[in-house]
Amino acid sequence: MREATIERDRSGQPHAGKVFAAVHAHLSDVPYFAGGLCAKLIAEGYTGYLIRTTNDETSGGQSSAQNILSSETEHAAMAKALGFKDVFELYYCSHRMNEISPVELRGRLVFLFRALKADTVLSFNPSSEGEPDSDRWITGRAVEEACWTAGLSNDFHEHFEAGILPHAVRERYWFHARPGQAFNHIVDISGYIGAKIDAIVECRSQGNGNAGSLLRARLAKDGRRLPLLGEDDRTADRAYAREFLLEEFRAYARGHDFEYAERFDYIGPPEDDGAKVEDYIARNAVRI
Amino acid sequence: MRRRRFLAGAAALGSVPALAQSNRKAGAAAQHSDLPARFAPCAYATTKTGYSPFTIPDYYTFASDLIIERNAPGKPHAGKVLAAVQAHVDDVPLFCSGTVAKLIDEGYTGYLIRVSNDEASGATPGHGVAENELDNRNAAKQLGCSKAFSFYYRNHRMDDGAIIELRARLIFLFRALRVNTVFTMDPYNHYDENPDHVVVGKAVEGANWMSGGRDYPEHFKAGLKPASIREKYYYARSPQGHNLVNRIVDVSSYIDAKARVNVANQNKGPAGGAGIRLREYLRRQGKKLPLLGGDDETANFQYVKQFLLEDFHLLGQQFGVQYAEAFRYIGPESPYEDRIRRAALEKAVAI
Repeated sequence: MREATIERDRSGQPHAGKVFAAVHAHLSDVPYFAGGLCAKLIAEGYTGYLIRTTNDETSGGQSSAQNILSSETEHAAMAKALGFKDVFELYYCSHRMNEISPVELRGRLVFLFRALKADTVLSFNPSSEGEPDSDRWITGRAVEEACWTAGLSNDFHEHFEAGILPHAVRERYWFHARPGQAFNHIVDISGYIGAKIDAIVECRSQGNGNAGSLLRARLAKDGRRLPLLGEDDRTADRAYAREFLLEEFRAYARGHDFEYAERFDYIGPPEDDGAKVEDYIARNAVRI
Repeated sequence: MRRRRFLAGAAALGSVPALAQSNRKAGAAAQHSDLPARFAPCAYATTKTGYSPFTIPDYYTFASDLIIERNAPGKPHAGKVLAAVQAHVDDVPLFCSGTVAKLIDEGYTGYLIRVSNDEASGATPGHGVAENELDNRNAAKQLGCSKAFSFYYRNHRMDDGAIIELRARLIFLFRALRVNTVFTMDPYNHYDENPDHVVVGKAVEGANWMSGGRDYPEHFKAGLKPASIREKYYYARSPQGHNLVNRIVDVSSYIDAKARVNVANQNKGPAGGAGIRLREYLRRQGKKLPLLGGDDETANFQYVKQFLLEDFHLLGQQFGVQYAEAFRYIGPESPYEDRIRRAALEKAVAI
């Protein structure tokens, strides 16, 4: 059993100049599983980019084409709510990512990590168990591979022709969608729960972002109302999300001195072996 | 009948060097056909010296609007970029290096892109990869290319990879290099036994038009722009290769360049140090061939020019030039909207 570290709010802009990329398969993945952390890192100085690998054609209750369009629109709005600088959409067919070339997906992520100079990445834990959605583990696996190959000079070397140079990702926050997964890092997102809710309510094609307004309309039809849901749709959606959709994240915070948390398997920067050798030399070298 | 006339016309053309003449008897004998006269042949058997396994294909199919591309004075292609894409280090040198050298001389900036690692040609795969990498650079230099790229996919195993991944890399490179014109193996080349050729041809064909479109939009956010590939020169692989030819390029002025490019391939293909080996073979028999000269460089160059490239001379003679290369050429797309507007304006009446 690993002891989890706690990441709390940091004052000022300690991450100014750094870049992170959050890579998810579906519209509602990042807002649910890492939305608080994304908002926190951006507030602390990071520039954030959001990458969605699928087109989400299977979610939204409309035709596949309409689902793709609504998810695209909502994805942009959700990214704005969290403070991302830009959004990249790869549009692989939802629930069919098993059929694509893993190395082609990895190549595109390598390109993006290099072009954006991503220092930190958030994505699905590629070693997460019990994940039935293949899009998620394929995305996580490709991200894991791209993180290190982006820093190598012999992979996709044609990028250098356009001035896009090797750039290794140094920190990974792996999140998961299913309960019971390994984690070693708990992030206090209490200060960013508003941003997380703002992001979730943009996810209407999937993610229950409009569940509050739908419930409010249903009750009104029956001649009833819930005071919790307020007087307008946006208030209803936000209140519903806070009351009914975030229990998991309140549970993660129990036993700590904060209200909401997200869990990650965090992998930090690699140890500097060169520095160790230099240190050993400094301590042990003798004159010839 | 038409075929017989074609071959008879070929025999009547110009002077043929002695080495080619001596072999034409065998070539002529091979042209016998039992095809009844009521059938019009749809493929033309080529006349070959038999001096090289990789020159012109056994057959060609010619388009009715075939044109001969001749030297263009000055630098009419200044500012344009070509990419010559090959599966193996000796493909472009053997099959289209005369035309590539010509276009670079006429102003193009050229890039040579090799897709495989050529590991199958070498004492060991490691030696093969390292030596052919160097040869690819040297061949590019001889061609006048600004740079050589190698993608290092495994030789003879390119059909086990995802063609979409290769196509994506080519799209990136065509955009980054601002490519206008592409050379590659004809994607519809018949009877090609080499899977690498088939995969490269198809990947390039797809990349040609997709690099000009909106695929891979992340490239644009990194500052790249769509490529505008307006011309394609597709070459056939010999001897089995058989493709539709609608362009013959007169490479007479560039045949020495083509010879030098092939000599640069020291490890793969029929050129390299073959001249030195022939001279040594003759010496052991107490003989020498004056055309091989007195030094290694001359021996290798003359071997390539006089033997390996002789079939390109025979091909050229069919079209009234000294040396030729043959292509399926696809030019710029017709500006159909302009034509419709012009036609509409001609017929339009005042409101």
